[in-house]
Amino acid sequence: MVEYRTHMKIIGDILSTTRDDLQDDDGATVTYLIRKANVSHSRISRILRVLVSQGLLEKVDAQGSRKYKISQTGREFLQAYHKFSGFATNFGLTI
Amino acid sequence: MGFLVGLVIGVVSIIGYRNTGSPTLFRLAIAFCSISAGFFVIWVGYMVEDLVIKSGHLERWIQTLGIAIQTVGYFFIAFSHSIKSLFPKSRYFRSVGILPLFLVSSVQIEHIFRSVSFILLAYGAIETTLSYFENRNKGAISVAIGLSLLALGEFLGWYSFVFPESILYFVSMIIKIAGLIALFIPVSKIPLTKIKFDESFD
Repeated sequence: MVEYRTHMKIIGDILSTTRDDLQDDDGATVTYLIRKANVSHSRISRILRVLVSQGLLEKVDAQGSRKYKISQTGREFLQAYHKFSGFATNFGLTI
Repeated sequence: MGFLVGLVIGVVSIIGYRNTGSPTLFRLAIAFCSISAGFFVIWVGYMVEDLVIKSGHLERWIQTLGIAIQTVGYFFIAFSHSIKSLFPKSRYFRSVGILPLFLVSSVQIEHIFRSVSFILLAYGAIETTLSYFENRNKGAISVAIGLSLLALGEFLGWYSFVFPESILYFVSMIIKIAGLIALFIPVSKIPLTKIKFDESFD
């Protein structure tokens, strides 16, 4: 059965990838994030723009390619996300 | 007790909403703040009756108001489980849906609110139990028991109209408080202290 993911869950997956599952220290490429977070290119582009503008991700130009790294604010958001995701799960809900 | 437990869960939900911007946590915040406010209104009613009016019984409209506010809270819990799909789509049915509330006395309104609360709580308890079978989260069991006890409390509270001099109303209040404590158990395990990150991360 296909699991429905909320917008918040997709953001959580993208941030988790940039924190815990990086290819190298420079950050993650868009292609890598698409594969890991399982989101289409057009959708992930919009989400990445928002996450960078909100200061949750940092855009890095490394070796000719654009990569994304999680910021300190992003780490704090992810921490809060996991904490309150558990809280909502207790009520049988997803945030 | 009901006021405090509802308030704590409501505040945790508000903190969660402010940190994540999640609409689910916003709905939970409204739900538990309403439940807390409902208990508070009934408590104030008892205090005013005990200390000022001294009539020996709680004013019916205060009781109805408190229960109505609680019902709003139960509605938002059920609404978080996508109960909106059960609403009639027709504007006509939506507009006449609340009409009966203006045609009945306050006692009958209290009956209606209690029965609606029971249905919403039973729905929330069933959905939460089903979610437990999906993800095996032990906290969900506690919440499902809590919602079930609240539903039973509402049912007994409604049934106490049949036997007004019995202890049914008192028992219903005890069961509702037990339900709120069961709701509070998983919430009390949420760590709300800010976690400091290792400097090597930066």
